[in-house]
Amino acid sequence: MSLTIRERADTIGTFRSVSVRLMETLARWIPTTPELDVKVLFGRHVWEMAQHADWLGRRTAELRAPLHFDRAPADAYGQVLERLAEAADTAARVAGFYDAVLPDVEARYRRYRHETDLLLDEPSVRVIDRILSDLERLRREREALRALEPQFALGDPEWPHRLAVAAANGDFVAYRPAQPASQPT
Amino acid sequence: MTAAPQTKTVRGVTLRGDPAREACFTVVQTDAEMAEWPDMSDASRRERLHRHMNNETGAMEIAAQCLVDFPDTPWELRMQIARQVADEARHAMVLLRRLLELGGHKGEFPVANYEWGVTLMLDNLPGRLAVENRTFEAGLIDILGSMRRTWREAGDADTADMLDGILADEITHVRFANRWIKRLTEEDPRVLLKVALAIRYLARVNRALLPRSGEANAVGVALGARQAPAVNVEDRLEAEFTQDEVLEVLRQAGFRSILPDEVK
Repeated sequence: MSLTIRERADTIGTFRSVSVRLMETLARWIPTTPELDVKVLFGRHVWEMAQHADWLGRRTAELRAPLHFDRAPADAYGQVLERLAEAADTAARVAGFYDAVLPDVEARYRRYRHETDLLLDEPSVRVIDRILSDLERLRREREALRALEPQFALGDPEWPHRLAVAAANGDFVAYRPAQPASQPT
Repeated sequence: MTAAPQTKTVRGVTLRGDPAREACFTVVQTDAEMAEWPDMSDASRRERLHRHMNNETGAMEIAAQCLVDFPDTPWELRMQIARQVADEARHAMVLLRRLLELGGHKGEFPVANYEWGVTLMLDNLPGRLAVENRTFEAGLIDILGSMRRTWREAGDADTADMLDGILADEITHVRFANRWIKRLTEEDPRVLLKVALAIRYLARVNRALLPRSGEANAVGVALGARQAPAVNVEDRLEAEFTQDEVLEVLRQAGFRSILPDEVK
């Protein structure tokens, strides 16, 4: 069975919320990351996350939710985003963002695309396809940083893996309780 | 609990502590410690690009910190600021690329984070937009307007064209700040007081950091009264400064004598 309109609004609103959180995380890291190449990469990707949030927020208004409806993710996923935001050094930030959380978000977009009705929910699918295309470019731009990584090696090489597992295993959407069916008058 | 931001004291004024820089950079605090030349020698060209690259990096950092510090800002304004972050990042990259093409490298000259130090002392977004976008970036409109010609006359059309591209972006940053300050002031007239206090603080910092009599910079160039760049009237109007505001800038730049009588 496909997603209800309420579930779709909740999921798109959660994707929006996560995009805003990721935008803020990158923004928070910019002044405290010394390496110029990494700093400017974060800077360019702030705008990517903002655009994703904007597209998603406009779509929620078409799903019987407010414009820019922002649905905080499930608690466990929120904690993953907090752990990411607290990463203190460049290596942990790059690996945590690009190798752990972003791939998980990408997988969740693909899952939504698989679960929704591609025709009925085509406007959401169009937005998600654009986002997936962007995420592929972000991945390529992150790969270009690898040549620099000897300068900022990970202190804890397992950290991104643990973060990725925590992201993958937690719930993502905290659905609103179902509304009672309206009574015929 | 969030730790209080670090500050520094420079010539008696308190400024926000410097943002992070790679170890290759020498971060200084005053013009006297900078290595600027007035000519267009090879070293001067590289230094100009290097300094501009760090200033664009600082502008990116200021805008980014505004996204962090003011999460309740209207979404449309946050979008504009996020776009500015990306624009300034792109500017820093193209300046670094040109610096490398001219044989320079990161850390070749001292850098200062003056705009960051001043703007981040302000605890409200209208004040930061007034200082960073409407003052520093508007000043950059004037500087870039002049520098395009200087580089072209020095035979470097590639750098001149690059600066022209940066100028086009800066106009949009000043324009959105002008629009939003106006809108926020219309919604709440007390915003105007915040803007006025921010500009007063900037003036106080500028007075404190003025070069001292007989002072020279790190390469022996005297730091006398500098000639302000020509006011870039066309692009300031494009950035939605009003005609009166542009005339005021012209008056302050010493062009009162050539202004029409009705606006003197």
